[in-house]
Amino acid sequence: MSFTIQVNNTPIEVQEGEILLNALRRNGIKIPTLCYMPGFTPSGACRLCVVEVEGKRDLVTSCAYPVEPDMVVKTNSIRVNKAKKSLVEMLLSNHPDDCLYCERNGNCELQWLAEEMNIKERKYFSQKKSEQRDHSSPSVYRDPAKCILCSRCVRVCEEVQLVTAIEFVSRGNKTTVNSAFNKGLNISSCINCGQCIMVCPTGALVDISHIEKIQTALGSTKKYPVALLSPAFVASVADHFNIKPTENPAGLIIAALRSMGFRKIYDLGWANDLNIYLEAQLLLDRSLTRPDTPMLSSCCPAWIKYAEEFTPEIIADISISKSPQQLMGYLVKNQENTEAINESRQLYTVSLMACVANKYESSREENTRKGVSEIDATLTVREFIKMLRSYGINITRLEPGVSDSPFNSSSAAGYQMAYSGGKAEAVAFQLNQIINGDKKTGFKFTPPKNPGSRKEVKVKIGNQEFGFAWVNGIADAQKYFDMLKAEKRTDIHYVEVMACQGGCAGGGGQPVYYFLDKHRTRKKTSQEMEKNCKLKTSAQNMQMIEFIKAGSKSKEKLTGLHTHFTKRNVVK
Amino acid sequence: MDTKLSSIFEGFPNKQRDDLIPLLHKIQDQYGFLSEELIIEVGKYLDISVNKIYGVATFYDNFHFGPRGKFHIRLCHGTACHVAGSSNILSELEKQLKISNGETDKRGLFSLEVVSCIGACGLAPLIEINNEYFTRLTSDSLKEILNHFRENHNSIYEEQ
Repeated sequence: MSFTIQVNNTPIEVQEGEILLNALRRNGIKIPTLCYMPGFTPSGACRLCVVEVEGKRDLVTSCAYPVEPDMVVKTNSIRVNKAKKSLVEMLLSNHPDDCLYCERNGNCELQWLAEEMNIKERKYFSQKKSEQRDHSSPSVYRDPAKCILCSRCVRVCEEVQLVTAIEFVSRGNKTTVNSAFNKGLNISSCINCGQCIMVCPTGALVDISHIEKIQTALGSTKKYPVALLSPAFVASVADHFNIKPTENPAGLIIAALRSMGFRKIYDLGWANDLNIYLEAQLLLDRSLTRPDTPMLSSCCPAWIKYAEEFTPEIIADISISKSPQQLMGYLVKNQENTEAINESRQLYTVSLMACVANKYESSREENTRKGVSEIDATLTVREFIKMLRSYGINITRLEPGVSDSPFNSSSAAGYQMAYSGGKAEAVAFQLNQIINGDKKTGFKFTPPKNPGSRKEVKVKIGNQEFGFAWVNGIADAQKYFDMLKAEKRTDIHYVEVMACQGGCAGGGGQPVYYFLDKHRTRKKTSQEMEKNCKLKTSAQNMQMIEFIKAGSKSKEKLTGLHTHFTKRNVVK
Repeated sequence: MDTKLSSIFEGFPNKQRDDLIPLLHKIQDQYGFLSEELIIEVGKYLDISVNKIYGVATFYDNFHFGPRGKFHIRLCHGTACHVAGSSNILSELEKQLKISNGETDKRGLFSLEVVSCIGACGLAPLIEINNEYFTRLTSDSLKEILNHFRENHNSIYEEQ
């Protein structure tokens, strides 16, 4: 049922039971918030969404107040504006004020508010926070002094990822967001997904930057920098700069990377194809030996860490294929690069990803050789955009380049892996290719249209019916696994698991935006990019297939494509 | 897990979330403080994230996470005590014991906690050592009291 309420002397239509904030925003009325996140429990911590409701003595927080018939609301009265300004001034009272040295300078919600509210000087003085900064994690850097205690990160960590690596500690003006026993994130249960970075309104949570490391390598006479460009990265850079798929965004990024000084640029989509090839093969083997429990994808490092920490019994069900980044790192570091040898330079591999967990993944012990990682550094989309700015590169005006052989061919599968549901589809296509060959069998993979339904597709390949499913967000994944167990289902054979909402399109290395469902537009971009790919499935990537054929003769080479996972004992 | 802890857990068979605070109280009574190991065991038993439990426990001043001294000193910092000069008493205590609020000295003899009003305003300023009140303190009388405890720490509770 809908009714009208009066807002700033204009009637607006609202739905019964709706939260006032949603109704106001839907009607284009600006309500600033620092703690509100659509779809999460309202916390009412920042109180910046206050409005004046006629008949109420106090201002009400619109984020936790349902609409009522015949309400009269004022959002810009003197009282409201004064209250909001005071609130921001109080948030600033113990803020370190080091915007110049802050990663989020210019993209900080607190800074915007201070500017919008016309705050020109410090009104309240209180002791600045001086908590220990936490550099311990390979992915996430915490500076509690900048924290405004909005609890967004705490809620994402708990409600989306089920991890609760960070939580409010202490009380009153001593409250901080901290990991268990105030020890570093690296020994906490943190899975390095970086979702906390994506929701932080200030610079309290940022990633561990690899920019300087990479710039040193680019200028070094002893290093031979190699860039590994992933399709998910290309799609989000295209989305960020509004580059149309027909304008060859990958080529533009390659040109930019070359001008930065990278010697070789390989297409990481090649490794995506290989990963899908390997997983389809593993799935086929498994369907013969253990058809009643599903195989789980292994490409998301954050999900792997979650499984190792919280559900070690499930490790045996995870595909043993390395993730695309590590496959590529392994292959590039093991291939003889005559140019590098002649110049007596050392290979320096930089992966370009949309994820901060990749920074941690490359430091896992099984991904290193004699202490040297197969991936030396990871550049996230955020860092890349920053580097472009500092180098003064206008990416849209470059002449598109091409990636280098032997890893310069990739299919649309790489772009499919950029969003949730895409990988399951790609694996299904690959499995069909293995069983049915190139014959046109009218193979169709149609995801359910209804957003509420289970994300499952069943397809008949050969004589067997295979069930494919995909989940994103660890909470979603855990719910799905519990359901499979409770209903004793045996008809699902493959589950694609991605730790971030929307898959890599919502990854922790993406540009930080004011609103959270940006992953939807990135998914759209990825799907458009898919249409522009000449090769549609992994099996059409002949370069990769030739490699497998050559490699199957020497067994050693192929075993390097597999990995293993171990139970982790952490404070959880 | 030792038998002491499992017998405490037996008192909470329902494993509900709202058992958490009573359970922490019981454990602190028995063990003297909440160690990391104990909090982890509670997390496993109640199936609550350890970090959440730590967050709840640090919210309340009543829980502490390190061992306390044999003589736990609580200094009242209520309004009356404040007016009567409890700040001086605090700095004298800190000087004498070489510890600050919330700490325990190296020998494990004294620990110090500043608390809000303990309801003896007429006798301000005052401290409480293991449920014994020492009132209308001055720097000199405080020194005497501390010396008494220091010198007789071996015999103090045996006499009773």
